[in-house]
Amino acid sequence: MKKNIRIWAFSAAASVLLAACGGGGDGDQSAKVKYSTLVTFGDSLSDVGTYAVSAVAQVGGGKYIVNGANGKNWTELLAKQIAVAAPCAAQTGLASVIPGIPAVAPSNHAGCTSYAQGGARVTDPVGPGNINTYPADPGGALGQLTDPLINQINRHLAAAGGSFKGDELVTVQAGGNDVFMNLGAVSAQLQTPTQAVTAMGVAGAELAAYVKNLIVAKGAKYVVVVNLPDVSKTPFAYTLDAPTQGLIQTMSTTFNAQLAAGLSGVDVLQVDAYAQSLDQAAKPAQYGISNGTNPACDLAKTIFASSLVCTETTLIAGDVSKYQFADGVHPTPYGYQLFAQFVSSKMIAKGWL
Amino acid sequence: MKPDSQVRMCVRTLLTASALACAAGGATAQSAGHWMVKGGFNGIAPQVKSGDLSPPGLPGSQVDVKSANSVIASAVYMLTDHVSFEAFIGLPYKHDVVGAGALSGVGKIGSVKQVSPTIFAQYRFMAADAGFRPYLGVGLTYAHFYGEEGSGALTALTNPGGPPTRLSAESAFGVTLQGGLTVRLNGPWYLDVMVSKSFIKNSTRLSTGQSVDTKLDPVSTGLSIGYQF
Repeated sequence: MKKNIRIWAFSAAASVLLAACGGGGDGDQSAKVKYSTLVTFGDSLSDVGTYAVSAVAQVGGGKYIVNGANGKNWTELLAKQIAVAAPCAAQTGLASVIPGIPAVAPSNHAGCTSYAQGGARVTDPVGPGNINTYPADPGGALGQLTDPLINQINRHLAAAGGSFKGDELVTVQAGGNDVFMNLGAVSAQLQTPTQAVTAMGVAGAELAAYVKNLIVAKGAKYVVVVNLPDVSKTPFAYTLDAPTQGLIQTMSTTFNAQLAAGLSGVDVLQVDAYAQSLDQAAKPAQYGISNGTNPACDLAKTIFASSLVCTETTLIAGDVSKYQFADGVHPTPYGYQLFAQFVSSKMIAKGWL
Repeated sequence: MKPDSQVRMCVRTLLTASALACAAGGATAQSAGHWMVKGGFNGIAPQVKSGDLSPPGLPGSQVDVKSANSVIASAVYMLTDHVSFEAFIGLPYKHDVVGAGALSGVGKIGSVKQVSPTIFAQYRFMAADAGFRPYLGVGLTYAHFYGEEGSGALTALTNPGGPPTRLSAESAFGVTLQGGLTVRLNGPWYLDVMVSKSFIKNSTRLSTGQSVDTKLDPVSTGLSIGYQF
């Protein structure tokens, strides 16, 4: 009997050890919420190809990133993570007057719910790269459509029967182009710095009102509102003098303060991209960023000076895979990945991912 | 078969069983040269001190490992009336791994299974046939981790939109201190309660190339029924 029990004990131990040989796995990759689709309102940071037409498309461009197989912005990464269809631009076109980049009339794409457009502002229809800024601003020759957030949201409501279904993940992100246009007006002495700061506060409050009245009040339940990163912590701003950088920072914080105030008590997920941009600028190594101050794109090699037409063949020499910025203000694929991680961490904590 | 013969047969079976038990019971004390086996339940509560997940990631990203319960078995050999050796093994434990530090609030990010066979050298107080015998032990534990599973949350935190992030926990040796008590029940049977604390450090690697070092230092509490030969 003693012997039998010893044999039993030995086989039990052996079976435990055998059970221990099983390998690991992916686990449950599904999101906590079953989303039907991703709806994005925003500017170049969220644009997935509004201007991927004409010569822009021919050179392999279309997004404000290092374009290519790995060139996915944060909205595309999020869509993949929540297992919904890859976002596609709700509208495409380009009112270019640049020789060699023929204009393409705007066209709308049913079923595509990425309304974000490079150059878009909160309310004002004329943003950077818009033809109405030309010729005072040579960059306006590109003829970006820059349909503002208010129009983007209204176009979606019109297409979707006046309301959200409630199972969409909605992302809202804007403000950068209001900074650039207001800063341009200060440089051109069309307004004072104080007026520029005030204008940013108005834009922030307007965006909050749109989110509250046209998105949440229209039935959207999962709304991620990203505030404005510190635009003074960009290669674009690093070329400017200290007072101007200070003005840019104040414009950013004023916009964010009004946005947050207007969203107080509104059931949305506010993502503090401003704080995150400061943290990444202060601790690049912690984020694996090899360079946070210079663009990865060689803008002398592109058909015009923007990451919109930057690809893996128009990069500066060396390994730029961990650079934060593709051009003066837009992230590289790695920068977008870091941002998608940050947004994800907030969504998980809220039980949305 | 008649009902009364059925009864008679049952009685005979019981008598035979008792006889066997008595035969063993002739030497049921926890004395030199004897074996004991026990089986029961054990809870493992890791007391995690997490390092920070290596870059790239949010500063201060940490992990915690939740408690788990399982069935254990052990065999004890009495070298003398007081000194014993015990070999411990259990069915696998499955622990949830959750976010901590900057990842507080994200909840479960994965799970890991482990078996932790341990060999103890023990000193048992009181006489070999005493009703209550407290004991102390010091042991060597091999914490074997396997069956790690990630989650959508882990992927989203480390490589959103990318391939699922996997994790791999390194197995490790550690020292375990133990205190326990056996209580004599009927015949060769006894009850065993035990608390132990292990000192185990390991490192968990992610398929993204990141890693996090943790002190696990689990406290185990077990309740078993033993049989001594």
